[in-house]
Amino acid sequence: MTTTTTGAPGPSPADADAPAARPSPSGPGRGGGWRQRAVPYLFLTVPVGLLLLLTYLPVANMFWYSVTDWDGLARSKEFVGLDNYVEIFTDPDNVRVFYVSLYYFLASFAQMAIALYFATILSFRVRLKNLWKGILFFPYLINGVAIGLIFLNFLKPGGGLDTVLLATGLDSLVRQWTGDPDIANVTLAAVSVWRYTGLNFVMFLGAIQSINSEIYEAAEIDGAGRWHEFWHIILPSIRPIVGLSFILAISGSLSVFEIPYVMTNGGNGTETFVIRTIWMAFNRNMVGLASAMAVVLLAIVLVVTWVQRRVVPEEEVDLT
Amino acid sequence: MTRALAATGKYVSLTLASVVMLLPLVLIVFGSLKTGQEFLATNPFAPPESWTNVSNYATAFTRGGMLRGFANTVVIFVAAISGTILIGAATAYALDRFRFRGRSAVLGLFLLATLVPGVTTQVATFQIVNGLGLYNSRWALILLFMGTDIISIYIFLQFVRAIPRSLDEAATIEGAGHLRIFFQIILPNLKPAIATVVIIKGIGIYNEFFLPFLYLPDPDLRPISTALFAFKGPFGSQWEVISAGVVITIVPILVLFLFLQRYIYNGFTSGATK
Amino acid sequence: MFLHQRRARLATASTAVAVFALTAACSGGSGGEENTSGEPGGSITVLTWRTDLVEDGTFDDYVEQFTTKYPAVTEVKVEGITDYEGEVKTRMSTDAYGDVLAIPGSVTPDQLGDFFEPLGDLAELEKEYRWLNDKSFEGTSYGIPVVGNVQGLVYNTKVWEAAGLTDFPTTPEEFLEDLAALKAADPGIDPLYTNYKDGWPLTAWEYYRGGVSGDPDYVNEMVTWDDPWADGRDHEVIDGLLYDVVAQKLTEADPTTTNWEQSKQLLGTGKIGVMLLGSWAIPQMQQAAVDAGGSAEDIGYMPFPAQANGTFHATAGGDYNLGINVSSKNKVTARAWIDWFNHESGYSESQVGLSPLIDGATPAALADFVDQVELVQMNPAPEGKESLFADVDTASGIVTTDPKFRQKIIDDARSGARTKQQVFDDLNEAWAKGRADVGA
Repeated sequence: MTTTTTGAPGPSPADADAPAARPSPSGPGRGGGWRQRAVPYLFLTVPVGLLLLLTYLPVANMFWYSVTDWDGLARSKEFVGLDNYVEIFTDPDNVRVFYVSLYYFLASFAQMAIALYFATILSFRVRLKNLWKGILFFPYLINGVAIGLIFLNFLKPGGGLDTVLLATGLDSLVRQWTGDPDIANVTLAAVSVWRYTGLNFVMFLGAIQSINSEIYEAAEIDGAGRWHEFWHIILPSIRPIVGLSFILAISGSLSVFEIPYVMTNGGNGTETFVIRTIWMAFNRNMVGLASAMAVVLLAIVLVVTWVQRRVVPEEEVDLT
Repeated sequence: MTRALAATGKYVSLTLASVVMLLPLVLIVFGSLKTGQEFLATNPFAPPESWTNVSNYATAFTRGGMLRGFANTVVIFVAAISGTILIGAATAYALDRFRFRGRSAVLGLFLLATLVPGVTTQVATFQIVNGLGLYNSRWALILLFMGTDIISIYIFLQFVRAIPRSLDEAATIEGAGHLRIFFQIILPNLKPAIATVVIIKGIGIYNEFFLPFLYLPDPDLRPISTALFAFKGPFGSQWEVISAGVVITIVPILVLFLFLQRYIYNGFTSGATK
Repeated sequence: MFLHQRRARLATASTAVAVFALTAACSGGSGGEENTSGEPGGSITVLTWRTDLVEDGTFDDYVEQFTTKYPAVTEVKVEGITDYEGEVKTRMSTDAYGDVLAIPGSVTPDQLGDFFEPLGDLAELEKEYRWLNDKSFEGTSYGIPVVGNVQGLVYNTKVWEAAGLTDFPTTPEEFLEDLAALKAADPGIDPLYTNYKDGWPLTAWEYYRGGVSGDPDYVNEMVTWDDPWADGRDHEVIDGLLYDVVAQKLTEADPTTTNWEQSKQLLGTGKIGVMLLGSWAIPQMQQAAVDAGGSAEDIGYMPFPAQANGTFHATAGGDYNLGINVSSKNKVTARAWIDWFNHESGYSESQVGLSPLIDGATPAALADFVDQVELVQMNPAPEGKESLFADVDTASGIVTTDPKFRQKIIDDARSGARTKQQVFDDLNEAWAKGRADVGA
């Protein structure tokens, strides 16, 4: 949603923790002094100030709001204890947004599988490699609103997809793609796969291509087949990236907004966390309850990330 | 035999994937060139009667405010990206080149922040932005774009480490101060990192919908994504105009992609593999 | 040493500049200079839900006329908002909600004073304007309606005549039969269109309350009941009809792909039989019919299919009320706009509505309807209970001005996830809980 989820993941910051063994640039002969010592703090004032203001203060406020009945307008807030949390888990409409995000989460596995398949294919010799690569990646660069509108046009009754199905004799598959409550979320998740596969694909491809070619040559001398190469060389080498994609998939699936908002406006059981909290906080003036939802979401993200670390320990990529 | 089969399968799957990726886009382009009557009457696959019918594009530009949308996006982009670069580089410089009390605490703060998805705090952030009096102002977006971008800080940290310290030291001996070192040695040597950040973040800003949607309702200040979203209202029954609006937002990014392909791929992979 | 000091100072200065730049940025939020002259002048911002009139230039004409009358007014900025209720409600969390705006339906009476400038004494203004009660609190008015509405159903006369239907249906059952007849006569049409996706058109259903029973005190009584969705009460009739019409597949097949602008076109061209909308919708539908090559005569208006004592009733009331942002810096000009808009713009005539002015005339297009239907003016809440309805409504979680619960009724009617009775039971339970919470 915000910039942390739009771009590629950052490089490993592990080395930023490097031991402080290197000499200070204020070499010998230049007296330390308090001014000298103040320099790094001055450089960090604005960045850390913004970090505190726009990340930590909101988090702290969010916890505070979540135990009040604040409506976002009144000057006073009343402490209501855990009422908001009880409300979240007793109203099925609130629980439902987490259920909806499961569709997107599961879809991200399909997305990674597709991306991995094409990354593997294109890491070997293929004609028109750049063309295929460009086509697969480009949708990721398109504006989310544009994607929503493109697929509204493509999936509407009698639109592109229906026309294809009718022309190929698959009439029986024609559905109300967003209108049928049983498949609406599947449709939206599929659009999300269309949008994000390119990113996974390029990340995987980059990782595969950074494998030293001598390893392949050695494998080929040993008579290893393509499948063997994939299983024993490619897969292990991109494991860190897969782990990273997994974490992105979690936060991504919980922060889905544009596609359902543009395509169904959250109707027909497709309401996501962001759509609901916005509505809750601003249309219904229940900032307290919306904050409690956010706290629950944050807890889920942290727990899943922690579990993922425990299950698949990462040595190469260490996000923390 | 199996080799030939595998090769065929390879190309069949690539072709299939390309069709899936391109078909929705092609149909939007077709639609954008049709007249209103034609759009309703013809099959979505029917090519437009006239390939030079750009009246929908004219409508999108004149009545849909797309031009203003581009201008607003550019303003926000330039301000936010400059801020991001300065902030990211300054942070990286301070953290990498100095040892000081609280350094690991600062580092920890930035690392911990990566675990907090931006969406979770939106409601609380809204109150802060409003408290600063920035609601319905471009500054809200600029501040959020540059203030919450921890990814860029990591990228800069990576690259600052790679700049030899001997350069700083030589400059110090010549009497340069920290600011001069920062602006004349560190920043110029960070060009690859800056390119990466400009690309990743530039695409992010161009495509960002949620922040302007929430913070910037004024039609005069709308960037391109909310300008396009606004089409849904008055042009709701004119899909040919909506289609033109969609194509207009895609074209600039397509052109950039074609020219900067290599850098764009590198931007997204270097972030991931470094 | 000297050099060194200078450098440190430079660093401090640069940080200070950066911080200053940020704080300076902070004060740049709200634009416009304060107008204290007491005469209309300067610039104002007007928020409107009529994106279509912004788009087609009607508002440009309004602005031109207004600035001709008040040459000191330099700019009237009109912002058309598609999701009016939703977006304005968000903006009301801040100060930036324009100078003149239509008061969103979800603002409760006791909140009016927090957000809107008092326009005058209710008793005084009532000599001139109608339907002020809704947006008044404790004897003070905060908004003046732009036009008066009666609540009926807008339909395509050709479609109904083609199916051989000439009389207004008098019961929901008869209405459903009629819709089935429309469908039988032309399977290609949607007999009734809910405009599910845009959502806000569904709030129109709420305003048949009081019209079904012809009871001007319906809303005031509703707060004394635990079960407004019980047999025969207005809400049961209204939402029962909604459930039935969807369950019997007499509405648009895919409600998630609806669009307001498109619905106008579809009704105008006879692809839709009927929509449940206030009389404000008539001119827009007529326009759509004319644009599609038909005539304004193709659009008719009928009462809600229910009679009390053998007579149709319809509630009459204000459409959106224009109010002034309490933190506006140019209230004088804002007030001038409201007065001008109601007296001189010709808006209410052009909208074929009832004039908000006491001495306004009934437009010809509604004359027929008014002949057959008894209009009901809802009585104001008794003193001290002005916000009771809103309080119960909010506490219940239903919020009758929010389309969400009716969207859910449509979901359930399509999927069968809840039966009609379950829907009513849930609504009654929520309402009773709301009453209990508020202590009504």
